Amino acid sequence: MPTVVPVLAVLLLAPALGAVLLCAVPASRADWARRIAVAATSVSLALAVWIVFDYDRATGGYQYEVLIPWVRPLGIGFHLGVDGMSAVLVLLHALCSFTGVLISYAIKERVKEYYIFYLLLITGVFGVFTSLDLFFFYFFYEMAVIPMYPLIGIWGSDVKEHGVVRFSKEYAAMKLTIYLTAGAVLALTGLLWLYVSSGAGTFDVVALQHHLSAFPLDARRQAMIFPLLAVGFGVIAPLWPFHSWSPIGHAAAPSAVSMLHAGVLMKLGSYAIIRLAMGLLPDGAVMWLPWVAALCTMNIIYGGLVAMAQKDLKLIIGYSSSSHMGYVLLGIAALTPLALDGAVLLMFAHGLMTALAFALVGHVYDETHTRYLPELGGLGKSLPFIATCGVIAAMASSSLPGFGNFVAELLVILGSWDRYPLQAILAVLGIVITSVYMLRMVRGTFFGTLPQTFTHAQDAQTFFARLPYLVLVAVLLLVGCWPRPLIRLIDVSARPFISTFAHPEAIRMATTTSSQPR
Amino acid sequence: MNWPTVAVELALCAGVLGLLLTDALLGPAKKQAIWKLALAGVLVLGGVLWWQRPWIGQSFQPMAAGQAMFVLDPFAWTFKWLFLLTMLVVILMTRVFTRQAGANIGEFYLLLYSALLGMLVLASVHDLLLLFIGLELLTFSLYVMAAYLKTDARSIEAGLKYLILGSVSSGFLVYGISLLYGTVGATDFATLRDAFATGQMPLLAKAGMLLVLAGLGFKVAAVPFHLWVPDVYEGAPTPVVALLSVGSKMAGIVVLLRLLYSVFWPVQAMWGGILAVLSAATMLYGNLAAIPQTNIKRLLGYSSIGHAGYLLMGLSTASWFGAQAVGYYLLAYLFSNLAAFFVVVTASQAVGGDRLEDYDGLSRRSPLLAATLFVGLLSLAGVPPLAGFVGKLLVLLATVESGRLWLVAIGAVNVAISLYYYLQVVRRMYLRPAVGTQPLVVDPLTRAALIALIGGILLVGIVQEPFLRALSSAIRF
Repeated sequence: MPTVVPVLAVLLLAPALGAVLLCAVPASRADWARRIAVAATSVSLALAVWIVFDYDRATGGYQYEVLIPWVRPLGIGFHLGVDGMSAVLVLLHALCSFTGVLISYAIKERVKEYYIFYLLLITGVFGVFTSLDLFFFYFFYEMAVIPMYPLIGIWGSDVKEHGVVRFSKEYAAMKLTIYLTAGAVLALTGLLWLYVSSGAGTFDVVALQHHLSAFPLDARRQAMIFPLLAVGFGVIAPLWPFHSWSPIGHAAAPSAVSMLHAGVLMKLGSYAIIRLAMGLLPDGAVMWLPWVAALCTMNIIYGGLVAMAQKDLKLIIGYSSSSHMGYVLLGIAALTPLALDGAVLLMFAHGLMTALAFALVGHVYDETHTRYLPELGGLGKSLPFIATCGVIAAMASSSLPGFGNFVAELLVILGSWDRYPLQAILAVLGIVITSVYMLRMVRGTFFGTLPQTFTHAQDAQTFFARLPYLVLVAVLLLVGCWPRPLIRLIDVSARPFISTFAHPEAIRMATTTSSQPR
Repeated sequence: MNWPTVAVELALCAGVLGLLLTDALLGPAKKQAIWKLALAGVLVLGGVLWWQRPWIGQSFQPMAAGQAMFVLDPFAWTFKWLFLLTMLVVILMTRVFTRQAGANIGEFYLLLYSALLGMLVLASVHDLLLLFIGLELLTFSLYVMAAYLKTDARSIEAGLKYLILGSVSSGFLVYGISLLYGTVGATDFATLRDAFATGQMPLLAKAGMLLVLAGLGFKVAAVPFHLWVPDVYEGAPTPVVALLSVGSKMAGIVVLLRLLYSVFWPVQAMWGGILAVLSAATMLYGNLAAIPQTNIKRLLGYSSIGHAGYLLMGLSTASWFGAQAVGYYLLAYLFSNLAAFFVVVTASQAVGGDRLEDYDGLSRRSPLLAATLFVGLLSLAGVPPLAGFVGKLLVLLATVESGRLWLVAIGAVNVAISLYYYLQVVRRMYLRPAVGTQPLVVDPLTRAALIALIGGILLVGIVQEPFLRALSSAIRF
């Protein structure tokens, strides 16, 4: 599809350019820094919306491709492109980063540095969702991880219980960075091994896929490489038991960073598993996905139960996120078009819901200086707008009908029923657990008696302050009530993708029999 | 005789004499400006090196009948540029140092020049004897420079330690050379290579090869020849440490490349495995031992041991792609490490020490210094889009191709380990409150140099193809 403007390149480079521009802004001019960040993310958001509408559903496949040969001797190319699945995720990231920049207006200290790191983070995530080259995929992936360290370490907050520090932001930031980097290098080892053993001499995902469908790797090699990719990217997904960095990272990060972190960054892992691990190693995927399905049940149930036990608002949402990402992984592991549609839609809906929830907690924290549930209460009276949004977020998280989460989780459970009935039943149980802690959280924060100390708490007053919440709530409701366009968009790519695993049972039989003599 | 092939070295000899003369004639007051002369000299050398292009591929034979001792092949020519670049940055670093050293500063530049001469010779060396001379020229200059701060006990200790351990390593090297000469009857690389062309080596020659490798192992600071590193790095003047960690290491690797990929190429089965094991030990030791350090120069010392491990890992692949990866790694390491040391030189003057606590809140006092150290350290850790990432990626890729997956796994784990201690420095600079309130003033020339180094790190990290092509045409013997 020929386009005059390389849409994806502009979408990707706008935040990067913003970051470079910011370096030249004097540190005292915080207002300029904010304006540049808003401008950069608005450009990306506008283009992302345009892509979702303009994507040619009849043709399908990768569109808006940009291909610049980068390192020819190694077969590395700067290859961008989106299909239906990644277009939806690009839209999610554009929404989260735009609202995140608006929420970041609460940041008052070292504003210029903050936005430089924030825009670098945004660039990295856009890069991962649009790259069709293993080299650049990893390049942007790691670029998205590193800015988290200063963002959490400088502008984050320690997690306290009764005023006693439970863990410091420095600890959380370091743990997050080291976990994610360790996962990334594990995945990198797998990717390099895959590159070398494919013999295709190209890092291009599309070319590699063509090559591998003509000359598939032998099943034993696939069985060895797949876990490297699945665990490496699974760390960020976050697959149980590699999830422990994630809730504390969410809790210590500043609100706008938690929004991106839980809303989008975690989706990088599941996206990478779909695009690279499953796309390039179908036999390995068929062999190992039942394990993923088993582990993600632990995410759902264990994550949910731990969330129930938390008293810090951000920790509740943090554990809830890792619980809900279990549904996404279950949908991926089910290997049916229905479940994959559900998984991608859930990434979208959950991303918006979590972003909304973290933004709200951020506002509550800014007003009351505590996130500790026993100290809160009755804020519904002084913060009616925030409380309304909070109830909406809780309802969305508990997947009430009318929200995208309901549609998505239903699709996941229906789609995985045939293959993993036990996991599907446990997943339904997870929804009950979710509603328990979400209702507790809403009650404890917004209802009951208002402590004297919080009477001065201010609601989001101006339209501008309300804008990010309104955007997120509107999109959540829109997708919940009218999910068809997005599901169709996802389905355009998910269906052909799953059809490459045409007879998973047959493949599994073949591989088990071939590996038996050994 | 083919004089133009040694033009750079001859010009440098003239430069040494010129500096000697200037030092004797200039009054003590004007000596502070002698760095300008040294800097101009390096620029002139760059011009001479550029002029040498028509003679690339030719060699210098002192005796009409003998074999070439000194070659100006594309390999030598390319790496000479890197040595000149290193020296350029080191001379810029010494400006602050001149105030400390006082009236003796003239000799310091003399020694820098003789170290450069050693490095340039090592890039072209094609004979074991010349190899020994070049290496000694380099290390003798470094011995003296390490102990240059005569009033500082740590500097004296550093110089002495380096002298003693360095002499031991030279002993290894010479003994190895003598064994090789004893079995083959020649010292030039071409004859040696022909002698081993069958892939067979007499036992004594094997011992000779291992001893030569051990001697060079000292120079690149590979485990188990690394013991001198932490103390010398801590005690020696910082510009000298920068030269030691970039220039001297690069010279060692350049010689190793030439020896392993040309002289000992036929017997690669023998050294590949040894280097792989050493590389694993070096990476693990360097990076793990760096974690508890509280002095930035010691930390960078251990980190440089870790990087020696990656370089050896690339060498151990015994493939041309691995050699290119090593070249790329060196390029990235040059920019990143020089950036880090430049900040250490500039900051330690102002904050008054090299302890990690002194870097608390550096980002508030000087955003540029903090940003440069941030970029340099993350590049050393191998974070995209910085140079070090590409270097590590290429080395790992070459090692996957060679089939040593266990080594790749260790290399990958070390990326995470090294990130941990580099981030400890970042934590201090960005997360901690500042120790002093007054902002650090960075003069315009230093500012320009720091920005240029950041630019270099980004350039090598983002635009890989031209560098990779240049390296692939340069690294052939």
